[in-house]
Amino acid sequence: MFPIVLLSVFGILLLFLGFLKSRAILLPAALLFLLVSLAVNFIDWNKTYLYFNGMLLSDNLSMVFTAIVLGSAFMVVALSGSFMEDESAQPAEYYGILLFSLVGALMMIGFENLIMLFVGVEILSVAMYVLTGSDKRNLRSNEAALKYFLMGAFTTGIMLFGMALLYGATGSFTLGGIRAYAVNPQVGLSLLFYVGLLMLLIGLLFKVSAAPFHFWTPDVYDGAPTLFTAFMSTVVKTAGFAALFRLLSISFSGVYTFWWTILAIITTLTLVAGNITAVYQNSFKRMMAYSSISHAGYLLIGLAALGQQTKQAIVFYSLAYSVATIAAFGVLLLVARQRNAETITSGGSSSESFDAFNGLARQNPLLGFAMAVSMLSLAGIPLTAGFWGKFYMFSTAVERGQIWLLVVAVLMSAVGIYYYFRVIIAMYFREGATAPIRVAPFYRYVLVVATLLTIGLGIAPGLLEGLF
Amino acid sequence: MQPTQNVLIPEVIQQIPLTYYIIISTALFVIGIIGVLTRRNAIIIFMSIELMLNAVNLLLIAFSSYRSDSSGQVFVFFIMAVAAAEVSVGLAIIVMIYRNTRSIDVGLLNKLKW
Amino acid sequence: MQTDLLCALIPLFPLIGFIINGFGFRRIPKSLAGAIATVAVLASFLTSCFLFGAFLGNANLTSTAGPLKAVLFDWISVGDLDISFSFQIDQLSLLMLLVVTGVGSLIHLYSIGYMKHDEGFGKFMAFLNLFVFFMLLLVMGSNYVIMFIGWEGVGLCSYLLIGFWNTNTNYNNAARKAFVMNRIGDLGFLLGIFWIINLFGTTEYTDVFKQATSLAIGDPEILAITLLLFVGAMGKSAQIPLYTWLPDAMAGPTPVSALIHAATMVTAGIYMVVRSNVLYTLSPLTLEIIGGIAIATALLAASIGLLQNDIKKVLAYSTVSQLGYMFLGLSVTAYTAGMFHVITHAFFKALLFLGAGSVIHAMSDEQDIRNMGGLRKSLPVTFITFLIGTIAISGLPPFAGFFSKDEILAHVFEHNKVLWALGVLGSALTSFYMFRLLFLTFFGEFRGTEEQRHHLHESPATMTAPLVFLAILSAAGGVLNLPGGGWLSDFMAPLFEGSRQVNPEAFAESTIDHSTEYILMAVSAGVALISGIIAYVMYVSRGAVPAPETTERSMPEQVVYNKYYVDEFYEAIIVRPIRGLGDALYSFGEFIIDGVVNGVAWLVRAGSNQLRLLQNGSIGFYVFAMVLSIVAIIALRFFVRF
Repeated sequence: MFPIVLLSVFGILLLFLGFLKSRAILLPAALLFLLVSLAVNFIDWNKTYLYFNGMLLSDNLSMVFTAIVLGSAFMVVALSGSFMEDESAQPAEYYGILLFSLVGALMMIGFENLIMLFVGVEILSVAMYVLTGSDKRNLRSNEAALKYFLMGAFTTGIMLFGMALLYGATGSFTLGGIRAYAVNPQVGLSLLFYVGLLMLLIGLLFKVSAAPFHFWTPDVYDGAPTLFTAFMSTVVKTAGFAALFRLLSISFSGVYTFWWTILAIITTLTLVAGNITAVYQNSFKRMMAYSSISHAGYLLIGLAALGQQTKQAIVFYSLAYSVATIAAFGVLLLVARQRNAETITSGGSSSESFDAFNGLARQNPLLGFAMAVSMLSLAGIPLTAGFWGKFYMFSTAVERGQIWLLVVAVLMSAVGIYYYFRVIIAMYFREGATAPIRVAPFYRYVLVVATLLTIGLGIAPGLLEGLF
Repeated sequence: MQPTQNVLIPEVIQQIPLTYYIIISTALFVIGIIGVLTRRNAIIIFMSIELMLNAVNLLLIAFSSYRSDSSGQVFVFFIMAVAAAEVSVGLAIIVMIYRNTRSIDVGLLNKLKW
Repeated sequence: MQTDLLCALIPLFPLIGFIINGFGFRRIPKSLAGAIATVAVLASFLTSCFLFGAFLGNANLTSTAGPLKAVLFDWISVGDLDISFSFQIDQLSLLMLLVVTGVGSLIHLYSIGYMKHDEGFGKFMAFLNLFVFFMLLLVMGSNYVIMFIGWEGVGLCSYLLIGFWNTNTNYNNAARKAFVMNRIGDLGFLLGIFWIINLFGTTEYTDVFKQATSLAIGDPEILAITLLLFVGAMGKSAQIPLYTWLPDAMAGPTPVSALIHAATMVTAGIYMVVRSNVLYTLSPLTLEIIGGIAIATALLAASIGLLQNDIKKVLAYSTVSQLGYMFLGLSVTAYTAGMFHVITHAFFKALLFLGAGSVIHAMSDEQDIRNMGGLRKSLPVTFITFLIGTIAISGLPPFAGFFSKDEILAHVFEHNKVLWALGVLGSALTSFYMFRLLFLTFFGEFRGTEEQRHHLHESPATMTAPLVFLAILSAAGGVLNLPGGGWLSDFMAPLFEGSRQVNPEAFAESTIDHSTEYILMAVSAGVALISGIIAYVMYVSRGAVPAPETTERSMPEQVVYNKYYVDEFYEAIIVRPIRGLGDALYSFGEFIIDGVVNGVAWLVRAGSNQLRLLQNGSIGFYVFAMVLSIVAIIALRFFVRF
């Protein structure tokens, strides 16, 4: 739990650093803070503690999730060099808000009490509302922020109502208390409990953008500045799934038969809605939004088929997904910036469409390769991390014998190939006049590390096993 | 929903059954939802959401009293504090949009679609 | 320990070659890039040979069924399932290793000459090496997961190489089609693997087959598994209905067609079935289905081949048809014969493709055989080697194709006389279209432009040397397994111990006596010879040339009305129906099957277009949809019982 304390302090520190004349110190400072938090995260390794009067739990699983979240945040921040060039941006505030939002994410990962879950979700969400709207003059950014905010607040209401009903039924906000009620009811489970369970689940499913609560996702991801889209689609999703996993595996595993069919239907809807809709997109960024919905679907398989392997599957999948997504958005940022600079002079297609990638690999082999690897990983082609993520996920469904879920997932992953390969085709097989894009050294390291991680985990997925 | 510790609940509270509280909060909650569904003015939608949150608060306090358990009331304080923070951000977003478009009609905001 | 190292080296060499060429293709000079790539594969070949020698020398291993396993590292473990990254060296993988690396090195050598003038030379060599790497993983892996990785990897490389000349949109479409069709097959394969995990709790070949021997014949789960795996094989080995990608794949450079789409990758399906022979033997129904699909594929593709005028398309359809023969062999549990045909086919089909490449090279990228003719004078080496390849594929003794095809047909005869007759018919068609191709290309008058005539030249030594090697192999490959218990059957026998155990009847000693066997041989050879002669009469003596698409086909007949009354008759009775059948089948294949595949793609796109309209941008609608879903979920949960 040291990261939570440290990140809160560091966030305030960063805001003060913003008073300094020189902006150059902000990025290294933010990265350093994240690294320190990541390092102290492992102090409690192999020990299990309850912190803050039993409000937060720290065990190996929560530390692994924390590491994924902080690592993703580190990479996203490392890609944020463009703030320094933009006069109107306020990097100190952005970094401060990012660090604060991580506090929320960590609370969602380790919560032991529904109060902490609620506070964590809100810290993360409110920070995201602000970041989504941070491009203040851009109408798309404004619209995305309002949509996200209104729908997010609405869902918070639903989630809170669910928590209140659960409290009414069980008399407790703690995971253990709810579990004790669900496992051993004195007079049968009350209706309040079931409705509360469903509403709480719906609230969290909204945050991880599961269909039919996914409608906000494409619009918000599309409208938000690309960097924050990368942050949302990785950190928020990982934290959301960590929270869902904790809730379902600890409190509600006793009533598995009640909720798994609902979750399986939602999983199917999510897979179909995400994958099928992504096919028609012309904007890469919007495609990535639908793709993130579809990956939420794959992650949900592990929950709908909750079992021994779910933990490992979710950890592996979120890691593989986060790394590939960040690399993809990193390349998109550079390409879109280049295209924007070009459009000002010549006028041309939208800077975030698939066409923007035409012929990219010829002039920028590194960018092309990094993008190709992350697309292959997201598509689940073997020898990339994404393949093993899917493999583990599908194994959970096999373990539970939910073959029809497996069939849907496999079919939809075939659809996925189509839109991921569009990017590869554009980069390698199409002609396009792309000048070489200048890539800052640090930026380059992030892309190289992400690519190597994707391939490394694809070749030796067993590396992560020691973490459980 | 049997109160676990009947003895500790004051007479005054017991005069109204718990079910009534549940019904009224649910009604308030549904009114809030309908408000969100039917209004186009961002501020009114926002107020409807606040109504939903307050329905939750009422429910929590009722449960808390009937169980003589303080954690429900603690939760209410958290909700109020977080809701206040949310309000400030939400109003800021609405103001930002008003500056850019001179309107806070959410029906006009549909540039992002498909 | 030493063998572990050797096993690891075999796929490592091409991988190193890929890494060097793949990352340095801009800086490395062409000659060096070609040398690196070729040496890498050659080194694998030599290592495989060494391993093969050691394997043969080790009497212990050849006499018992126990394969040699090289565990490189423990890979992943999910719950109870442990998958190690390990290679299995046994008779089957050794044979495939030798074919892949041997034919592979010849084709690499050939590519140096063929692709010399291409600007993407380094990249091309890198892709070829990568392909060999994945192919080696596919055949060496000791469990289904490694096989699947190789399986996907070769698909990816094939996609990259078909679309290698990517400036042409059609080529890109061909590449995408190949990839999509292969993916459909792969899905079946993946589901099959999951089912295997579910049933056996492991994917390691040895464990799976050991457990499988205790199951009863016709077990429904085995039926499902084998069918799913076969769906994968359909995609990779181009069987009905997933075969149309292969002819389109001819858009790639010719060495690619030779290596990937004739000699190695497309035989992955055969390899997989032979590898899983215990499972397939357990499921006679699957074998029946395979037999039906195989003979249909063989005949359909052969009849389409009769009318093609693109030199590579003819060879492509011929490949599809020959793959059908291999599956036909497998369907009657003649696994050895199937593998034998894989090996000989690798020799002669690679030879034919490389020969075709040599012709195309000489003709300045002309692929239409109507514009060729008389090339035997200008391209003597190519002509002789192509002739040997043609004889070999037609099944004329004593060349390789005769023995392997004959062995398949003999087993089929034992099993089902009708299938045999159809097989012989296909063999006649094969002989006809191959000789037609040969005669139109190398005999008669030159029909190309003046410019092409001046350009005509024999190919450089890097291209002719592989042709000669392959020609020798195609001519002499038959000695591997002469009729009546050859070396190959003895060598491969331990592989089928498990199958023999579960279904002894299928492996009973051949019931047909020697005289019948000789008659069968004579029949198939005779039929092939007659078709060849008919082709000779039509295309050399009469000098007929398929009419260009623009003219009416009946025009030449007007001129020769009186003289060739017999020919008219022949035309009406034989050629017309065959042509009609060919056209009909062609349209069936290309349009109906493509239509179904494209239709699915269209459906997805259309669905996407409709579905995205849901995302209409209005907050009100989004919230409404959410509320509706919440109500639906609660209603579903409490008012519907499930």
